[in-house]
Amino acid sequence: MIRFDQVTLGALRAFSCEIPPGAVCRITTASEDRKNELAATLFGTARPEQGRIELFGADLYALPVKERVRLFRRIGVVPEHGGLIGNLKVWENILLPAWYHLGKTAEQAEGEVVRMYEDFGFGGDYVKRLMGRLPDQLSIYEKRVAALIRAMLTNAEIMIYDSLFSGLDRDVAARLYRITERFHPERPGRISLYLCADDAFSQRIKADLTVALDAED
Amino acid sequence: MATIINPERFGRPFLNAAAYWKGFYRLLGYILKNIGALNVPPVRQVFYRQVYFTGIEALWVVSLIAAFSGMVIAGQITSLAGPNSPFTAKIMLWMLVRELGPLLTAIVIIARSSSAMASELASMKIRGEADSLRMMGVDVMDYLVVPRIAGMTLSVVATTFYFQMTAIVMGFAFVAAAQDVPFLTSMEGVLSILDLTEVLVSLLKAFVFGLVISITSCYYGLSAPRSVTAVPRAATRAVMQNLVSVFFLDGIITYAFFL
Repeated sequence: MIRFDQVTLGALRAFSCEIPPGAVCRITTASEDRKNELAATLFGTARPEQGRIELFGADLYALPVKERVRLFRRIGVVPEHGGLIGNLKVWENILLPAWYHLGKTAEQAEGEVVRMYEDFGFGGDYVKRLMGRLPDQLSIYEKRVAALIRAMLTNAEIMIYDSLFSGLDRDVAARLYRITERFHPERPGRISLYLCADDAFSQRIKADLTVALDAED
Repeated sequence: MATIINPERFGRPFLNAAAYWKGFYRLLGYILKNIGALNVPPVRQVFYRQVYFTGIEALWVVSLIAAFSGMVIAGQITSLAGPNSPFTAKIMLWMLVRELGPLLTAIVIIARSSSAMASELASMKIRGEADSLRMMGVDVMDYLVVPRIAGMTLSVVATTFYFQMTAIVMGFAFVAAAQDVPFLTSMEGVLSILDLTEVLVSLLKAFVFGLVISITSCYYGLSAPRSVTAVPRAATRAVMQNLVSVFFLDGIITYAFFL
């Protein structure tokens, strides 16, 4: 479902790997910089220097832009900084992809979102206040939680977590991880891909497949 | 000896103008082909917001400008031609419906919304939000461009009509109060010579202005390079380009239909 075929990025050696449906995969890089390059390539915003990336059997960069964007409807991305839209309130950000692609209305999603926030340890009144804020007023943790809930709401076939745990307290990171771990099997065949720099917490991810990418000397 | 063509020799303004026209027609073609994107509920929400920001929020300032323009023009014409002159209605119509209505409304929209739209889109691009939308599987053109162009164009047409009505009513109300010219007589004078073509052409002007202003604002917003200084530059360029375009098009349409 995800295949890297002799992909070369900046200082990273050419690498290949295939992530089958249902797998949990962890890709680590020696530095945050390399991880950012890898993420940009996987998200369709920076073409690799060589090689090809296949998602759902389609060569990502051979597709016309419109088709490439359409492919991402099946993928839930949680970017490191949340990737929230600055002029939309948190609630509108969370609802956007589910409303856009699945036609989920605010009424249909409300209960689900509140329940998810409770899982993350956020209480009712706090969530109400949070929903009305703009992303710039949020902490990095709140941004990531909003992005995670946004992605989970679409029940995507592939979940990509970009540095989900970096810069967070150990307990908070553990809670996030438990939630993503529990979410993974809720859809049969779902791929969960964790992109992270090689840090202490990333070692705790229980992955079916681990790929460690090294830079060329 | 082979000549190496250095783009700089043609002059940066020429290249910028060529890029602008190419971008303009690309966006125009896109909106014509993809207007159906408005059927998607989140896109329609952006459209409603655009109508609110560009049209409804501008009404108070449009009302003020329309009222003052109407009063000044009606007062001056009545002073020059005398009360109950047949010229009063004709000049009011020519000035306010044909020319000042579309033109002043367009200027208000350029000042308020064109700069805001260009800088908002440029900021979104610089902050990587356009990429975020793509990662969510949301087409940037469908979600950001189509509703903005449609919303602003509709707002300019509606606001222009509102300007024309307000200016004429307030103008005649002013001369009725200040110069004892019966209000209803003045209104009857205008209505008796007003024909549908006059109104339709003025609304066509507004439509063209709205389309040009919105497309130009989107173009400069989305073509901004990834640098913080690009935001004010995008806004300034959009405003200047729009002002020049609107005056130029006003002349062309007036010449084509009225001269």
